[in-house]
Amino acid sequence: MKDLLIVEGTLTPLSSKTHITYQFNIPGPAESLRIDFSYSPKVLDDKEQARVLIEEALDKYVDPSLQAVYKEQWEKFAPLKNLLTLSIDDPEGFRGSAHRHPNHQHHVLSPHESSPGFFAGPIHEGVWRVTISVHCVVTSECRYQLHIREGEIDHEVASI
Amino acid sequence: MKWLPFELHTHTPHSDGIHTLLEMCRKAAELGFRGIALTDHNTTSGMADAAQVTEETGVAIIPGLEWTTFYGHMLTLGVPYCEWRDLGPKDIHKGIDRVHRQGGVVGIAHPFSLGSPICTGCHWEYEIQDWNQVDYMEVWHETLPPMRNHNAPAFEQWTNLLNQGYRIAGTAGRDWHHSNDESDPPAYTYLGIVGDTDALTKEQAVDAIRTGRICISMGPLVTIELQADGQSYHTGDVIRRSDCANVETVELTVRIDHPSIASRRQMVQEEGLTVIVESNLGECCRSALADGATVFQHSIRPEKLLWLRVRLYGMLSGVLSTIAFTNPIYFED
Ligand SMILES: [Zn+2]
Ligand SMILES: [Zn+2]
Repeated sequence: MKDLLIVEGTLTPLSSKTHITYQFNIPGPAESLRIDFSYSPKVLDDKEQARVLIEEALDKYVDPSLQAVYKEQWEKFAPLKNLLTLSIDDPEGFRGSAHRHPNHQHHVLSPHESSPGFFAGPIHEGVWRVTISVHCVVTSECRYQLHIREGEIDHEVASI
Repeated sequence: MKWLPFELHTHTPHSDGIHTLLEMCRKAAELGFRGIALTDHNTTSGMADAAQVTEETGVAIIPGLEWTTFYGHMLTLGVPYCEWRDLGPKDIHKGIDRVHRQGGVVGIAHPFSLGSPICTGCHWEYEIQDWNQVDYMEVWHETLPPMRNHNAPAFEQWTNLLNQGYRIAGTAGRDWHHSNDESDPPAYTYLGIVGDTDALTKEQAVDAIRTGRICISMGPLVTIELQADGQSYHTGDVIRRSDCANVETVELTVRIDHPSIASRRQMVQEEGLTVIVESNLGECCRSALADGATVFQHSIRPEKLLWLRVRLYGMLSGVLSTIAFTNPIYFED
């Protein structure tokens, strides 16, 4: 096991609709790549804040004639959630993504098997990129951690 | 040509779906589908199992992807991953070109869903400078689509664009994440498939969508034929005005084929159906179909027509509703 990238950061709602890309070098062919990614909090717990954001969205997206009905049921759209997703590019191009909701994720890429969302294939040496797509931050702060390691082959191809 | 039912919007655990491709295709076969498009969010890695799943279930799998971006969700069909992460809200045509250059088609998914932060990027907010570049719109989204609020403005927008002279296909998509027996029924997107239908290819499905050989339905297949001066035209075809200059009317034939699947026949009442002929000039005709009748004919004056489609109206699970609609036959000068 060899660490390739250990990074973390703090986001605010202003980071919604942005991408954060880290570029790192793999010095020689590797047997596998292991990625741990997490962010927190996942959910906006403050009900009043949620209500304001939901009503704003309903004003924006619902036909005026239906807005009152939707607003009565605003709680149906709660809790609001942060959503950050991960995608990877290897030296040859797009290598897959994990567009899903859990905020703790573990991915393995290897020549014959990869975690769902990613393509199996050699872990070439060269410049790789990992991109965090910040679809939405609704909490005042959202912290993320990303840890990428080179690893040996085993048969555990886990993912959440 | 053969009309075959497809499900054009699906997910698996390669993005946020719950069912595996195999579980989904088994269920799709049970529901009467001949093919699905695998449109996971932002990846095509799920296609690795496709050949084996098709062999096991008989359900064709068309490679696709749902661009799950910050400003809208766009379905791509028939192509591998195309880059979207560098596009801003005014750059969608750059993205559409990337798909078209590789021979694929693009469709706007659920254009009027609620957007962020309720559903991130789900409401279409990209600026479209040229609607001619949009191949299709998902005007019926999710299960039991004619009953859903957000599909009404989508259907209306589609109609408005047709009125402006754009030829855009209308499709249905369940946005299928989970197979269970309790869920409401999805619509069929019948595609008019040309060529061998034993081993369906992505090219055949893409061609049907590009040319608008499509009927959307909760059950029965509705097809239309126009006879104009000895020539016959079908769903998706374009009639040149010069080809019907010598005749006062064109003759429309509507055919209705009820599916053999028992659950569908229970859901859509075969009696009391109404045929509605719609066009850029509004409703041309509305006529109750005699019980048991499966063919309807009507004469139409072609002048000033840009497009014409047929909608079938009747009882769906005990509620009066649109049951099916065809894509248009188009007219041009
Ligand atoms: Zn979507
Ligand atoms: Zn979807």
